[in-house]
Amino acid sequence: MKEISFRNDVLPLKDKLFRLALRITLNREDAEDMVQETLIRVWKECQDGKEIDNVEAFSLTVCRNLSIDYHAKLEQRNVAFDEDIHDQPDTTRSPFETMVDRERFQMLNALMNSLPEKQRTAMQLRDVEGRSYKEIAEVMQISESDVKVNIFRARKAMKEKLKR
Amino acid sequence: MDYKYIEQLLDRYWECHTSEEEEQILRSFFAQKDVPAHLAQYASLFTFMKEAQEERVSDDFDDRFADILAEESLRHDVVRTQARTIPFRQRIAPFLQAAAAVAVLLTIGGAAERAIGGSQQEEGTAAPVVANTYIRSDRVAEVVTPVESKNEATAIVQPDSMTRTQMGVDAQVKEN
Repeated sequence: MKEISFRNDVLPLKDKLFRLALRITLNREDAEDMVQETLIRVWKECQDGKEIDNVEAFSLTVCRNLSIDYHAKLEQRNVAFDEDIHDQPDTTRSPFETMVDRERFQMLNALMNSLPEKQRTAMQLRDVEGRSYKEIAEVMQISESDVKVNIFRARKAMKEKLKR
Repeated sequence: MDYKYIEQLLDRYWECHTSEEEEQILRSFFAQKDVPAHLAQYASLFTFMKEAQEERVSDDFDDRFADILAEESLRHDVVRTQARTIPFRQRIAPFLQAAAAVAVLLTIGGAAERAIGGSQQEEGTAAPVVANTYIRSDRVAEVVTPVESKNEATAIVQPDSMTRTQMGVDAQVKEN
């Protein structure tokens, strides 16, 4: 099996991991923390000489699980996720967002973020990252048909909301 | 312009029947400016998906992560040296090696002892060994004594001086 180079194979995944973490945590700072933690975990696996078949899928899985755990902890502290989004001031916006049609982006982003976690994660990986159903199933540790069901529901919900 | 293909793709998209390539075609199509009015309502969705790909970590992420990794690297080294579990076989390996070394030495020692013992006996009967060295004469006397007695040969030894003696050969010559 191919040897994994942390610098060349894992580190460049940071933006992809960030987008996934952001879709789950809905907060840029928290998402970056999740990415750091994910990268450290994968780095340790590499250091310990563990074999990883698909380092990208593995990293995405770790990132998603960490982000979900983080979400659960937030809920334990009785901080509603939705409140958290509204509390976020504009300072957390990326410079990119200021360039594009911000209002439209924010509206659709909020729409997508209002979906259940499984639906928005599946949609993120498919429609934003362009991954195959098989890869998404591997990352989310569910069956391919479950992936399709989640994406189907997500697209349907987005379509309904856009029609209004 | 005929938009049937795009409409078909769109229908299949909602049903999750499109391939990754077809979805890419949809994103590219909706990224252009002049999208027909009846499809325009969905344009924002596909442009949003494209824009969402541009999300990046903040600029100082790499620097911050380098520090974290350096710290983690130190911690990891310490943990590794402190808590590395050594399997039983590996733990007793040095003792096994030592035991093996002792066994080899004993075997060699035993074999050597037997070999030397055997040759000394042979020396006693036939005395074929040539001791072509300078030896102190009083020692030569000792060494030669059994040869003298058994083969009735005489070795001429001058006790006070160093003598070059051809032991055995002298004896054999005398025998003949």
